[in-house]
Amino acid sequence: MRLIYFLAPRLLIAAITMFGVALLVFLSLRLIPGGYADIVLGPFATGAARDLLIQRYGLDEPIFVQFGKWLWALLQGDFGNSMVTNKPVIDEFLRRAPVTGELAILTLLLALAIGLPLGVWSGLAEGGAGGKGRLGRLVGALGASVPDFVIGSAFIFIFSKWSLGLKVGGFVPLDQGLWDNLKTMILPTVSLSVFAIALFLRTTRDAVLRVMTDGHILAAVARGQRPRDIVRHHVLRNAAIPVVTVTATYFGFLLGGAVIAEVLFSIPGVGYYIFSSLEERDYAVVQAGVLLAAFVFVSLNMVADFAYALIDPRIGAARSGT
Amino acid sequence: MTAAVDIRDFVVAYETGGGAVFALDGIDLAIGAGETLGIVGESGSGKSTLGMAIGRLLAPNARIDAGDILVAGCSVTTSDDETVRRLRRERLGFVFQNPMSALDPTMRIGRQVALAMEGTPDTAAVERLLVRAGLDEPGRVARSFPHELSGGMAQRVVIALAIARNPQILIADEPTASLDASIRDRILDLLFAMRAETGASLVILSHDLRMIVHRCERVIVMYGGRIVEMGESQAVFGSPAHPYTRALIRAAAGNEAPGEQLDPIPGVPPVLRAPSADCAFAPRCAHAAERCRRERPAERAVGGSRVACHFAEEIMAASGTAREVAE
Amino acid sequence: MIALASARLGRFFRRDSLGLLGAVLLLVLLILGIFGDLLPLGDPNAIGAGPRLGAPSLAFPLGTDDLGRSYLPRVVEGIGVTFLLSAIAVIITAVIGTLLGMAAGYLHGATDHLIARIADILFAFPALLFGLLAAAVIGPGSIAAIVVISTATIPLFIRVVRSVTLSVAEREFVVAAVVSGASTWRVMLVHLLPNILGAAIIQLTYALSVSMIIESALSFLGLGVQPPAASLGSLLRLGSVYLTIAPWLVLAPGLVLAAAIMSINLLGDAIRDALDPLRGRSLK
Repeated sequence: MRLIYFLAPRLLIAAITMFGVALLVFLSLRLIPGGYADIVLGPFATGAARDLLIQRYGLDEPIFVQFGKWLWALLQGDFGNSMVTNKPVIDEFLRRAPVTGELAILTLLLALAIGLPLGVWSGLAEGGAGGKGRLGRLVGALGASVPDFVIGSAFIFIFSKWSLGLKVGGFVPLDQGLWDNLKTMILPTVSLSVFAIALFLRTTRDAVLRVMTDGHILAAVARGQRPRDIVRHHVLRNAAIPVVTVTATYFGFLLGGAVIAEVLFSIPGVGYYIFSSLEERDYAVVQAGVLLAAFVFVSLNMVADFAYALIDPRIGAARSGT
Repeated sequence: MTAAVDIRDFVVAYETGGGAVFALDGIDLAIGAGETLGIVGESGSGKSTLGMAIGRLLAPNARIDAGDILVAGCSVTTSDDETVRRLRRERLGFVFQNPMSALDPTMRIGRQVALAMEGTPDTAAVERLLVRAGLDEPGRVARSFPHELSGGMAQRVVIALAIARNPQILIADEPTASLDASIRDRILDLLFAMRAETGASLVILSHDLRMIVHRCERVIVMYGGRIVEMGESQAVFGSPAHPYTRALIRAAAGNEAPGEQLDPIPGVPPVLRAPSADCAFAPRCAHAAERCRRERPAERAVGGSRVACHFAEEIMAASGTAREVAE
Repeated sequence: MIALASARLGRFFRRDSLGLLGAVLLLVLLILGIFGDLLPLGDPNAIGAGPRLGAPSLAFPLGTDDLGRSYLPRVVEGIGVTFLLSAIAVIITAVIGTLLGMAAGYLHGATDHLIARIADILFAFPALLFGLLAAAVIGPGSIAAIVVISTATIPLFIRVVRSVTLSVAEREFVVAAVVSGASTWRVMLVHLLPNILGAAIIQLTYALSVSMIIESALSFLGLGVQPPAASLGSLLRLGSVYLTIAPWLVLAPGLVLAAAIMSINLLGDAIRDALDPLRGRSLK
């Protein structure tokens, strides 16, 4: 019951957020000087092509009627057709989603595997006499300072100059062999992970430090519990809440926004697709890309909220009044 | 009487952004086995620092400048971490001001209690301990999270955690300050009952002089990081020798006749930038003379108590007994 | 007053060597970026000043680019452009974020809900994809970059300012001002604003760091600054074309960009530690 009380308002908020995103995306493409048809068709379109488009999208109808029809189509999974191939955009996205998903999951796993322990260590070290925590802070600041495309470029230079066993570009799909696939995924994964490691390190360290100032940690120390037991029983669970949020947010970012890594390393994922569509002025793809990424992002935040409620028994209790 | 805790010339300062601030300025104190001791003082008097120092629980920016604390003959300041951890686990029990923040919000009470007990206790043992702490529905409490308990119940849980290993010294820092007035007495009753049951020494830190005098055998009055008066409760309350103690008694609610105004102590407690070379109370003292601003008063026997004031005898003689002041 | 402030500043940096490193680095880069064209570094736009894709030499310390332009003045110009664009975007973010955050935290009710939903919606926009969309709609360039950066950094700014406002608004002096009949505007500007500045400044440094990453990413994709102007990101874009034959074209702007972002991160961490010290205790 507690969870229903907790989740119902959140579902509503997620729905409102998605509606707002859809409205903004719709308006940004319709309310610009020159109109939708000009943007879509470019300046050299024939009158006939124009009329066809106006009829198809109902561009001569009032704007809110257009929006209603467009939204209704969205709700039925119709994100429009590619202006280049005239095929449903959503099919293309679904076909490419696994590649982007694999890259995002690999990056997330690598970043969590390194960032979490470093963050916990750094937070605990700083909580003590200090000094040692400086190293964690330096690593965190450094990692968050090198953009993925700088690291990616460095990798491309190094690995194309000297053959070091890893291929740059030439993506191999997962179903053609796990190891061959991984070999093409390692470099983009590592490029993306450097910032992510720093992000998780900083988030985890701050969370641990904040928990360490809590009264119940002092109480546990005063009871003479072993330091590692205190960390295991009391610090980690309490510090997990902000880390969960950042994990969900960053996973959402990776699923929708790993454009540069995919472009740099020619990974045929969603980001690459959107970017190359833009170069072909295929705005239907860009529009659908933003909508889908926002939808994934909002959904993941819902998942994070759900995880919260499981970790922290106080959440939800206040709302349901128990 | 063997000392359970022996504090010798103890000096503690906190490093702050604006320089060092001294919280304890030479404390000498022996806490006897099984005694009940009340430490009274305003916030900033150093009493919490003293309580925390006994378990080497001072904040990271605290610095011990001089002296030592022995718990059961073992130095708290120089022993290694493991020895001090053992002391905390086996000999010391702490009860904190705010029970809600002393409990892990994400863990059920039963598990927190089990972690504090010896070995791996079963449900029945956990519930027996909760019953000892006066909780009527131990099963329900054990299954609860801290936010599902009232403040009084949570403080009973904190007391249960403190006595889980039958400590020899219980230290309670303002144990009822964050609780409803209606349940304060019952929580204090529980603390003293637990002390009687385990035979531990009980140290209560409080600003409530009346409660301390009423419940504890011995009382210590702290001001500016020093002990200004120390003695049997009745002696200190009945014939206070230090002007600060007298002011505390006058300022305490509950002593006034109907219609009479409470008499607050003028001024604010000092912020010590260095160990004081004079009497820290002098700026707020009605009896202060030139000597008080020049010479640090030593602790000496006056009447039945020990007092750190140059003019303790004169003040007692001049203004009659405190009983008259109070009544 | 100045003596007191400088004494405080001195103590702040003595306690925090990493913060000092960040401040010095930032200062050097800022001076280069702002006054770079006054220095005798050569003309960033002189085509054919040297060989095409020339390696670093005495005459051209960072080599030359594909049009034979000296790369050092171009990188210095890029620093200035990257800082300028990010700074404009972050100032917009700070003004809008502070106003909306304070309004949400202080006015409660419908205003709070409305602003929270706006923040949610903006937060859900993936920054780079939104950049692609903005480039499609208003055309690639500085304006698009600023819009994208502000959109990406405003939501967090609103949330932080809102939560600080909520806690400040409960303090006695604010309650006293309200009771004594001060107008809503007066309470917000005179009593609330000075007390949320600390949190806003911390958030500002994080926003600036994120801004520089987004700006350079957009320029790297060709959606930000357009030639002949160059930001560090657009220099990287050009350099990556000649990566294997002229790696210095990527190395120089890449290192400078990383140094610039790191200087802000280090300084931001130091300010955060000074204003909101998290002193956990030892577990021993």
